[in-house]
Amino acid sequence: MPQLRKVFARQEVSLLFVVIAIGAATALKSSAFLTTSNIQQVFIASVSIFVMGCGTALLVIGGGLDFSVGATFTLGGLLTAQLMVHSVPWPLAILVGLIACVFVGVANFAIITYLHVPPIIATLGSFYVLTGITTVMTNGLDVLPLPQGFQTLAQDKFLGIPNTVVFAIVVGVLTWFVLERMPFGINVRALGGNRDAALGNGLAVAWLDVALYGTAALTGGAAGVMYAAQVGSGQVNAGGSSSTLTVITAVLIGGVSLLGGLGSIQGVAMGAVLLSLINNALVLTQIPPTLNTIIIGSILICAVALDHLRRERLYRKR
Amino acid sequence: MNVPVLNLRGITKSFGSVSALESFNLAAYEGEVHALVGDNGAGKSTAIKIITGLHQADEGVVEVLGSPLPHRRSPASLSEHGISVVYQDLALVECLDIATNLSLGGLPRRFGMLDRRRMHKDAQTVLGDLKVRVTDVSTAVGLLSGGQRQIIAIARAVRLNKPLLLLDEPTAALGVQETAHVGEIVDQLKADGKTIVCISHDLEFVFQHADRISVLRLGRTVASRRTEDTTRAEIVGLITGAIRPDEGAVA
Ligand SMILES: Nc1ncnc2c1ncn2[C@@H]1O[C@H](COP(=O)(O)OP(=O)(O)OP(=O)(O)O)[C@@H](O)[C@H]1O
Ligand SMILES: [Mg+2]
Repeated sequence: MPQLRKVFARQEVSLLFVVIAIGAATALKSSAFLTTSNIQQVFIASVSIFVMGCGTALLVIGGGLDFSVGATFTLGGLLTAQLMVHSVPWPLAILVGLIACVFVGVANFAIITYLHVPPIIATLGSFYVLTGITTVMTNGLDVLPLPQGFQTLAQDKFLGIPNTVVFAIVVGVLTWFVLERMPFGINVRALGGNRDAALGNGLAVAWLDVALYGTAALTGGAAGVMYAAQVGSGQVNAGGSSSTLTVITAVLIGGVSLLGGLGSIQGVAMGAVLLSLINNALVLTQIPPTLNTIIIGSILICAVALDHLRRERLYRKR
Repeated sequence: MNVPVLNLRGITKSFGSVSALESFNLAAYEGEVHALVGDNGAGKSTAIKIITGLHQADEGVVEVLGSPLPHRRSPASLSEHGISVVYQDLALVECLDIATNLSLGGLPRRFGMLDRRRMHKDAQTVLGDLKVRVTDVSTAVGLLSGGQRQIIAIARAVRLNKPLLLLDEPTAALGVQETAHVGEIVDQLKADGKTIVCISHDLEFVFQHADRISVLRLGRTVASRRTEDTTRAEIVGLITGAIRPDEGAVA
């Protein structure tokens, strides 16, 4: 049954079982779990991670890494909020906020490519710089009040589904399409799978890189804007290092390989939902939240170890 | 004689303090199988990478049909110049399937999207033409043996159907039967009027299929012979340095 084995070889399928198992266990312990509003809460909480995870996943599949995404998240929300407070119409404010974030991505690319700084260091550096800039920008204060029109973007519902969830689904489907159906996506996998081969076969490696770092920053910023609309203010501490780590964790748990080439958006979605589900389950079952990090850390290690095993079975050494 | 399809003149290249090529010359004519031989580290692969644009020569020019290629160019422009290549390290992406690897660098599109069906059909056609037995072109290249990978890399270069092919040790990982198979492919390409520059350590293969043999030693061209005018002993001597290079061959 090679078909069946193929299905089980996919990270998102094993994750689905983990999610169902945790869900079932929580439902047994707490009657509050399987309510519409709680399930909605789980999804809403996973939305930011997932949207950021989309761009980050593309980048990691393409062999890159972005540690600045938590700061870009903050920048997107804060800059957009500040522009609106200075009475810039919200569509324009969002546009400028997002462009600024893309610019951060391009800067990351330039530092990595032209200054030959390894991605992890380059983006860690820009994380700190950005964090400083956003703090200076606002004197460390949150930015509010935000226009009602902007807030309803996130707070309204569409066919009974919260707008943020709809937005995440749209971003997810788009990213999936680009990765699985466009030549660009294949080229990204080729780049991450074997950079020398990508070069040797004449792929536009520099363009792919700049597009990937730009996209990672863009989805980071977009999630930040959405978060600001959701909570009704631009928050200085919206993102930060925990945000960066959570996104990268979700992406890795979702089966995206740090070695590049492998991974799927479905997996990232499962990773994001799983992280938010664990939070929710711990609260509902009154397990001390301090256990959260222990559980997430263990799952991360298991996921990556599993991925490695799978890779060994999938690819023979020459 | 007419203009060479590929003409390298005075190519010099060093990596830091290591000198890989020193005024290296090579002229390959239309319809010719031109073997390039030399010991490990002689600079053969470096020469190929300079032709493809992966490396830039410190000095010298690469001419195709008499016109010099731009000094700075990327492998992306290789096809435009009528060249396809099999690198020594094969340049395959292990996590992608055979069909995708065969089309890499020129994925077929339909309405801007990847045309997977055409890609698979193309792959089956080219592998069928080359009489390669592959059950499933959606197998990841990472699952193939070294020899199978080598054939896939060769098939990719053949598929591009360019007048000039560069093959860097195309039989290195192959058994007797597969080597003979590659020999047939080379003969067929030659019969189709293609020009082939083939690097190989396998002198039997070289003497069977090459029209001309150039010997590279320590980054210099030491000799270039028509196959019928030379012997294995002479070529081996030139490779090892036991036979002195031709007058004038070393610039
Ligand atoms: N990217 C590089 N950086 C530094 N040195 C290099 C690089 N590529 C090649 N060299 C050096 O240049 C010399 C020639 O190498 P090259 O790969 O061209 O040899 P070759 O003739 O192809 O050998 P082989 O038969 O082993 O494939 C060697 O001394 C090698 O160490
Ligand atoms: Mg070599």
